[in-house]
Amino acid sequence: MSQPLHDNICESQLFERLYKKHAKNLHNFLYYKFGEHLNPQDKVQEAFIKLWQNCSKVAPPKAKSFLFTTANNLMLNAVSHQKVVLRYNEKPQKRTTNETPLFVLEEKEYHIKLQKAISNLTEAQRVAFLMNRAEGKRFKEIAELLGISVKGVEKRIYGALKRLREEIDEL
Amino acid sequence: MNREELIKKWLDHNLNTEEQIAFEQLEDYSQLIKMDSTLKDFKAPDFITEASYKTLQPQLKSKTTKTDTWLKPLFKIAAILMIGLSVYYYTTTLDTEIHTKIAEQSIIKLPDASSVNLNANSTVIFNESNWNKTRAVKLKGEAFFKVAKGQKFDVITNYGTVSVLGTQFNVKQRGSYFEVTCFEGLVSVAHNGKTVKLKPGNSFKVIDGKQITEGKENILQPLWLEGESSFKSVPLKYVITELENQYKESITTENIDTSRLFTGSFTHNNLDLALKSITIPLNLSYSKSGKSILLKRE
Repeated sequence: MSQPLHDNICESQLFERLYKKHAKNLHNFLYYKFGEHLNPQDKVQEAFIKLWQNCSKVAPPKAKSFLFTTANNLMLNAVSHQKVVLRYNEKPQKRTTNETPLFVLEEKEYHIKLQKAISNLTEAQRVAFLMNRAEGKRFKEIAELLGISVKGVEKRIYGALKRLREEIDEL
Repeated sequence: MNREELIKKWLDHNLNTEEQIAFEQLEDYSQLIKMDSTLKDFKAPDFITEASYKTLQPQLKSKTTKTDTWLKPLFKIAAILMIGLSVYYYTTTLDTEIHTKIAEQSIIKLPDASSVNLNANSTVIFNESNWNKTRAVKLKGEAFFKVAKGQKFDVITNYGTVSVLGTQFNVKQRGSYFEVTCFEGLVSVAHNGKTVKLKPGNSFKVIDGKQITEGKENILQPLWLEGESSFKSVPLKYVITELENQYKESITTENIDTSRLFTGSFTHNNLDLALKSITIPLNLSYSKSGKSILLKRE
């Protein structure tokens, strides 16, 4: 049996590597799940500080789940069941546009519809779906990040897509 | 391949060329693509890992003293080593002091092949680390020395210094009684600025400031090594102190002139016999009560 190289993550170089590996994913996970107004960036930092404080107790393979659980709990502590509203990025204003004002308006409406529909998804659906569509992550990567099966991810994402389609068509 | 599977494969970014064509044939293809491109706008704001780590770092630094756990045991080990070394250094450079209690004898090996037989109630002090430079022993009481050949060997007492080059001799210093007896080789005794050389069998005595040199003892080693104290014209008080050194009982005298000279010996193993061998020649009697013994005229 091979002994793991480190049994804790108190070494700053190892910690930095963990940060670079997980911080972005953790941030995006929090963002998609809870939205922006609870400041996911701060929660990421807080979760890593907690990890550092407990570094002697956490083995490297356990670090990811520690971070995700901690950050999730931090969020839950802060959340008071508000609807998640994801702000879409305003497209850079094109100087010269040959789009008709009608098209621009339609585009804007579509955005708003989609935003509403996304906020109506379940948390689980939204996280998996946006990781897939906005980040371009494969099912397998998402499954690893969330600690669930690939089939489960597929189900969530397809379910989310179906629901979005239905809601948009309705509106 | 049905529609749902195609869409799932598309979602997983896993379409091959054929499937891609089939997917594009779907009636809601354009809608899907439209939604998909719009969804890209809902991407999480950029998280710049490097920069945010830099902001996190100062908060971690404050903990680093805590987390440098390997340093703490290292400091502990260093401290223990320091203490150990200093104790070692202190004890090795410290004089070695050996003391015998009443009725106890001891043989001490000195750093070279020399040895000291220490009689009861006596003390020797010597410095082991310095032994190669100066062979010197401080003595209080009585001891028999067998000195290995080599540099000058000094026995320092309050009454004089005995110097030899390798021999066997006995030094006795009790109160104001000082006696050196040579058993082998040549011994020089420095006393009050004068130096006396002793040949085997000769002894040098100072009793109460009076100096006596006398000879011829035809024995190879002092009798006390065999459990007997012997005296030759020694005032009674020194005989009594020696008796007190060899037995735990305390001795008091009554109406006795303790400066009377005594010649003879007493054993170390039998108090009654020892008392008799002192009292009978001097026409004295003794009585024991508990731990004290009273000597008086008959």
